[in-house]
Amino acid sequence: MLKIEHLTKHYKGSSKGVTDISLHIMPGDLYAFIGHNGAGKTTTLKCIAGIQDFDAGEIFVDGKDIKKDLIGCKQSLAYIPDNPDLYEYLTGIQYLNFIADIFGVAAAAREERIRQYADELEITASLGDLISTYSHGMKQKLVLISALVHKPKLLILDEPFVGLDPKASIILKDIMREICAGGGAIFFSTHVLEVAEKLCNKVAIIKDGSLVASGNMDEIVEKGQSLESIFMEVVNDSGSIAKTDMVENKKHSS
Amino acid sequence: MYSKAWTMIKLELCNLYGCNVLRFSKDKKSRKKAAVMVAAWACVIALFVLYIGALSYGLVMAGMGEVIPAYLITLSSMMIFFFGMLKAGNVIFRKEGYDMLCSLPIHQTAIVVSRFVRMYVENLLLAVVMLLPGLAVYAWMEHPGAAFYLCSFFCIIAVPFLPVAGATLIGALVTAVSARMRHKSLVTAVLSVLAVLVILAGTSKISAMEEELNLVQLAEMVSVIFSMLGKLYPPAVWIGSAAASGNILVCLACFGLFFAVFIAVAAAVSIRFSFICQNLYSNLAKHNYHLGQLKKESLLISLCKRELKRYFSSSIYVTNTMIGPILGVVFSAVLLFVDPASVIKEIPLNVDINKLIPFAIGGIFCIMTTTATSISMEGKNWWLIKSLPLTTKAILDAKILMNLVLILPFYLISELLLIIALKPNFLELLWLLIIPAAISLFSCVYGITINLHFPVFNWETEVSVVKQSASSILGGLGGFIIAILCVFGITKIPENYMDLWNGAVCIVILAVTAVLYWKNNQTDLRKIG
Repeated sequence: MLKIEHLTKHYKGSSKGVTDISLHIMPGDLYAFIGHNGAGKTTTLKCIAGIQDFDAGEIFVDGKDIKKDLIGCKQSLAYIPDNPDLYEYLTGIQYLNFIADIFGVAAAAREERIRQYADELEITASLGDLISTYSHGMKQKLVLISALVHKPKLLILDEPFVGLDPKASIILKDIMREICAGGGAIFFSTHVLEVAEKLCNKVAIIKDGSLVASGNMDEIVEKGQSLESIFMEVVNDSGSIAKTDMVENKKHSS
Repeated sequence: MYSKAWTMIKLELCNLYGCNVLRFSKDKKSRKKAAVMVAAWACVIALFVLYIGALSYGLVMAGMGEVIPAYLITLSSMMIFFFGMLKAGNVIFRKEGYDMLCSLPIHQTAIVVSRFVRMYVENLLLAVVMLLPGLAVYAWMEHPGAAFYLCSFFCIIAVPFLPVAGATLIGALVTAVSARMRHKSLVTAVLSVLAVLVILAGTSKISAMEEELNLVQLAEMVSVIFSMLGKLYPPAVWIGSAAASGNILVCLACFGLFFAVFIAVAAAVSIRFSFICQNLYSNLAKHNYHLGQLKKESLLISLCKRELKRYFSSSIYVTNTMIGPILGVVFSAVLLFVDPASVIKEIPLNVDINKLIPFAIGGIFCIMTTTATSISMEGKNWWLIKSLPLTTKAILDAKILMNLVLILPFYLISELLLIIALKPNFLELLWLLIIPAAISLFSCVYGITINLHFPVFNWETEVSVVKQSASSILGGLGGFIIAILCVFGITKIPENYMDLWNGAVCIVILAVTAVLYWKNNQTDLRKIG
C-alpha cells in the first residue's frame, strides 16, 4: 500500500529533516510511527501526503510513484494534520461538500458517509455552523469525516488522538480497525505509546531524522516488556546500542 | 498601567513590517525576498521624494513657497486618512492574539493604546516621506530662520495624529455597526467603500467650488490656495502657516491640540473596545443542522465557490480590491454627465479621449487585483489545498476565475455607460471592449505569477498581506502600470496607426498573459511555502 525507499528530506539552513527512511506498509497494516519532538515524524508524513517535496528517495502509494503521479497518489490517500487549521469561513457541511467535490464523491455516497460518521462522532447538529465556532476536538472530528468521506485506501494521520474526547477516541480506534480489516492501511504518528502498542500490528521508531527500528509490534516488543521501555532504550543514546542493534536486526524482517 | 502599555507598544512595534521575523530568521530565501521587498519600497519612496521635491521646487519658483508646508500636510493627511480608514478596523480590533492578551493581567486601554501607536508609527513614516523633501526644498531655497527647523520637526510628528484619529473613528464606527450583524466582513467592506466614496465626492465638491473662485482671483494665487486648503483641511493651514513663518508657539499649540484629539479618540475607542471585540469574534453557532440532500459540483465550480467565500470573509481584502472596479464604474458614470471633450482639456496629453479611455478604464479596474495576494491569503490553511488531489492548474484557475467573476459585473456596467457616453464607432467600440478585458486578464495572471514568487503564509494579520506584502505592491499594480505605458505609447503614435497600435498591444498583452499562465501552471506547489 505504501512503500518508502531511502527517503531523505532536509530543510535549507536547518539541521532538521529525515535521512534514508525506508518503510513498507501492507494492506491491513495499522502502523504506528513514534519518536521524540522534532524527530522527523511530521516531515515524513507530509512527504507521503504530497504536501512537501523531498531531496532523495522514492515513495509509492498504492503502486503509484509520487514523483510521477502526485495527483493519483493523493487520490488514494487522506491526510490529517496534527493541528487542524481548516477553512474557518466555511460551515462544517460546506467543508465536507468541498472535499467530496474534490475527490469526485457521488452525492448519494457522500450523504450516506457524512451521515454515518457525523452521527457516530455526534457533530451532525453542528455541521451548519461556521468552523470558526468549533472547538479543537470538533475540528478534529470534522477533518476525520472529511478524510473518510472518499473512502481512502491509505490514511496518514499526524497525532490523531490529540483533542478528542474519550468517546471520540474510542470511535476513532474502531474506525481505524474497521478500515484496516477492510483492506485499507493506516500510518499514524502518536506520542501515546500505550495506544500504539494495543492498537497497532506494526511500529516504526524515528530518532533525529533516522529510522532506528521498524517491524511487527510483537517482534519489537517482547514478552515482559512494553513499547514505552523499548522506546526509551532505543532513543536513549547511552547504553542502548545493544538493544538498538537487536531491533535493527528485526528491521524489515516482517 | 504605563509600564504594561509600554510593554504592549514594544510588542506591537518589534515586528512592524516583519522586522523581527527577518532579524531572527535563518532562512536565506525569506531574507532574499525581504531584500526585494525593501528594494521595491525604496523605489516607491524614491519616486515619491522626487515628485514631492520637484513639486515643491516648482511652487517656490512660482513664488508660492509659503504654501508648501500646508499643501504637503493636506496631501499627506488625506493619504493617511483614506488608507487608514480601510485598515483601521482590522488593526485596532484584530483578532490575532486577542484571547491570549485578554487572559493576561493587562488593562484593555494598554492594548488599545499600543494598537493606536502602531497605526501612528506606520503613518508617521508616510508623513516623513511626504513632508521632508518639500520642507528641505523650502529650507534650501527660502533660507528661513532657525525656528523653521524646530517648527518643521513638530509639524512632521504632529501630522499623523488627526488623520489617524479620524480614520480610526470611522473604522471603529464601521466595525461597531457591522459587529452586530451576521455577515460582519461583508457589511464592513460595503460600509468602508461607501465611506470612501462619500468623502471623495465631498472633497471633489469643495474643489469644484474653488475652481470658480480661481477664475476670479487668479492674481492672488497664494491666498486662493490657502483658502482652498482651509476648506479642505483647516488644521493643515494652521500648522503649515506656523511652520513656514517659524511661529513656534502656534506650532506647539497645534501639536498639543492634535495630540489631545488623538488621545481622546483612543480613550473613546477603549471604552467600547471589549464590547466590539466580543461581538466581532463571537460567531453564531445554532447547533440545529439537519443533514439533507447534498449536491455534487464540478471541480472548478467547487474551488471557485470556496475562493469567493474566502474573499468575502475578509473585509480588508474586499475593500482593497473592490476600490478599482468601483472607481471604474464611477469614472464611466461621470463621463455620462461631463462632456468628454472638457475632460481631455484637463489632461496634459494631446490625444483623442476615445483612444485613451479603454486603457484608462482597464488600468483603473486593475488597481489591486485579488490574485496578487490570493495564495498568501491561504495562510495557515495552505497545507489543506496542497494535500488534495488537485493540479496546480486547477488551483490557480479557480483564483483567476474568482477575480474575473468579481470584475465582470463592473466591467459590463462600465462598458454600457461608456458606450452611451462616448458613442463610439465600430472600431472604437471594439477596442473599448477588448482592451480593458485584455488588461484585466493579464493583471489576474500576472498577480498569480508575482504571488507565487513572493508568498507569505505566516502572517499575523490580513493587513500585512493585503497592504504591505511585496506581492501586493508588485503584483497588485501590474495591469495599472501596463495601462499607463500603453497611454504613453498612444501619445507617440500617429493617429493613422492608432488601430494598428491597439491591435499590437492587445496581441502582446495576451501573448505575455498566455506565457505567464503556462509558466504558473508548471509550478510545483509543494515547493511554495
